[in-house]
Amino acid sequence: MSNGHEIQAQLNLPLDRFTLSVDFKLHRHVTAIFGVSGSGKTSLLEAVAGLRRDAQGVLRLGDQLWQDSSRGIFVPPECRNIGYVPQDDLLFPHRNVRANLQLGQRRARRQGQDVEALQQEVITLLELDALLERRIDTLSGGERQRVALGRALCSGPRLLLMDEPMAFLDLGMRRRLLPFLRTIREAFDIPMLLVSHDPIEVQALCDDLVVLRDGRVIAQGEPRITLMQASRDAAELAHLVENVVPCRFDRHEGEASLVRIGHAGDGPLLTLPRVSEAAARSQMIAVRSQDIILSITRPKGLSARNILPGMVRRVAAAGKKHLVFCTVNGSEVELAVEVTVTSLRELDLKPETPVFLIIKATTLELC
Amino acid sequence: MNEASLTALLLTLQYASLATAIVFVPGMLIAYVLARFSFPGKVFVSALTSLPLVLPPTAVGYLLLQMLATDGMLGREILGFDLDILLTGKAVILACAVMSAPLIVRTARIAFEGVNARYEAMARTLGYGPVETFLRFTFPLAARGLLAAMILGFTRAMGEFGVTVTIAGNIPGVTQTLASAIFSAQQVGNDHEANFLVLVALATGFCAILAAEFLSMRGARSRKSP
Repeated sequence: MSNGHEIQAQLNLPLDRFTLSVDFKLHRHVTAIFGVSGSGKTSLLEAVAGLRRDAQGVLRLGDQLWQDSSRGIFVPPECRNIGYVPQDDLLFPHRNVRANLQLGQRRARRQGQDVEALQQEVITLLELDALLERRIDTLSGGERQRVALGRALCSGPRLLLMDEPMAFLDLGMRRRLLPFLRTIREAFDIPMLLVSHDPIEVQALCDDLVVLRDGRVIAQGEPRITLMQASRDAAELAHLVENVVPCRFDRHEGEASLVRIGHAGDGPLLTLPRVSEAAARSQMIAVRSQDIILSITRPKGLSARNILPGMVRRVAAAGKKHLVFCTVNGSEVELAVEVTVTSLRELDLKPETPVFLIIKATTLELC
Repeated sequence: MNEASLTALLLTLQYASLATAIVFVPGMLIAYVLARFSFPGKVFVSALTSLPLVLPPTAVGYLLLQMLATDGMLGREILGFDLDILLTGKAVILACAVMSAPLIVRTARIAFEGVNARYEAMARTLGYGPVETFLRFTFPLAARGLLAAMILGFTRAMGEFGVTVTIAGNIPGVTQTLASAIFSAQQVGNDHEANFLVLVALATGFCAILAAEFLSMRGARSRKSP
């Protein structure tokens, strides 16, 4: 990402329970705004969009100054060139899908963008062809979110703001939408802010992470490491440690599907219940730290499908629990495993201890 | 049906339409401001716009009469010229406008309140300024409720009597409306004529209320999107 995409925000915004008060610079491609409900994530996004007139401070995108309260500067939302994807999609019910997609085209055209080509690209990437003539009230939740995302992108935005685009979807639908978000990420070189409280989503999509708690930034940095830190500092985030690792689909085998983990897709095989062809295109696999069991001897007679040899690298405390980080032999992949203090002591887990990681097939999720 | 009754009916339709046309746009704008913004004195403005709904029409008529009299606030002595409203068709239109405005404002306000303000925020992020957002998004989303407001306002104007007779009188062919024609027919014991006029009033009123109910029902349903 070039410097023209840097977001600089120093904002104060009084909310019901506290004052949102942030000061950060973002220069990565996709940044997650992370936190539990009521931590000020949505308000922050709205302030960036220019929808909170009561926000005070300074806000810039690249060389564009959007707000400087001390000088009385406030660029209204219609002049900020943003694509906004709200939680509740806000598709206009009096227009069909095509008309909704075209709502922001006028602005894109004014900036000299080829709106026809842009619209076609968005329709292809988000697989919207079959939906174009549909009425909004006939769409499913997942379809609505794809259209809302498409509408934002068709307006030719300089910044894409997504407010928990998957919040109202059930887990199955969320996992189906995630690959679309990854596609958008690859296809559009514009900065994106993603509000989320789903650690899998964050690790699968984002390069940078800002953790909000009661309106303040408590951590910022690389998603996996930052999530770890945040979960150590804030007890309510302790359950959020998830492993999301790169993988490549290998083959179906009867009722099971096999994927190889690792960046190059050449690591050990993992078995999971047979997945759909669409899910087989995923490049990430998630497993919660509490769904992995550690053993210091090779277990026998177990029902668990996946037994991976590995080695303990480090041990860290997270809230009241302990996390053991293990590398998996034959790959660069590192997995966090949640253990109790007793297990830690009895198994004498410390760096360089060889271990076996046991993972039930049904706890694995492609994303 | 005699010619005087027909004239009264046609005049009523004409006056009520004009009054609704005059009041609708400003009434809608006041309703939008009341629905969307908070400002000091909002309750006062809201109450003032509803006042004609609860006052005796003859009281409203009396106040207008005082204002329009030669020495009133809007009389010749202050303005320097005569507005020439009292006892003319203009007085009927004024009476209808004043009495239908509260219904239009209240119904339109409910229509606007039913439109999620976040749609407006969404439109702004897509590049539409505040005025365009209102015209292209808020207005069509509230259209059913606004139409209901217009119908209710029109019907109220059709039935106006108290203010009309006070400031416009009951002059056949000039200011005699459906309501005052019924009154006259009943006063002179012309039951046949009164029956017919009441039937017309009943039919128009009933149709209008049905239409308004239907519109607000459909409006409520279309807004139930998640």
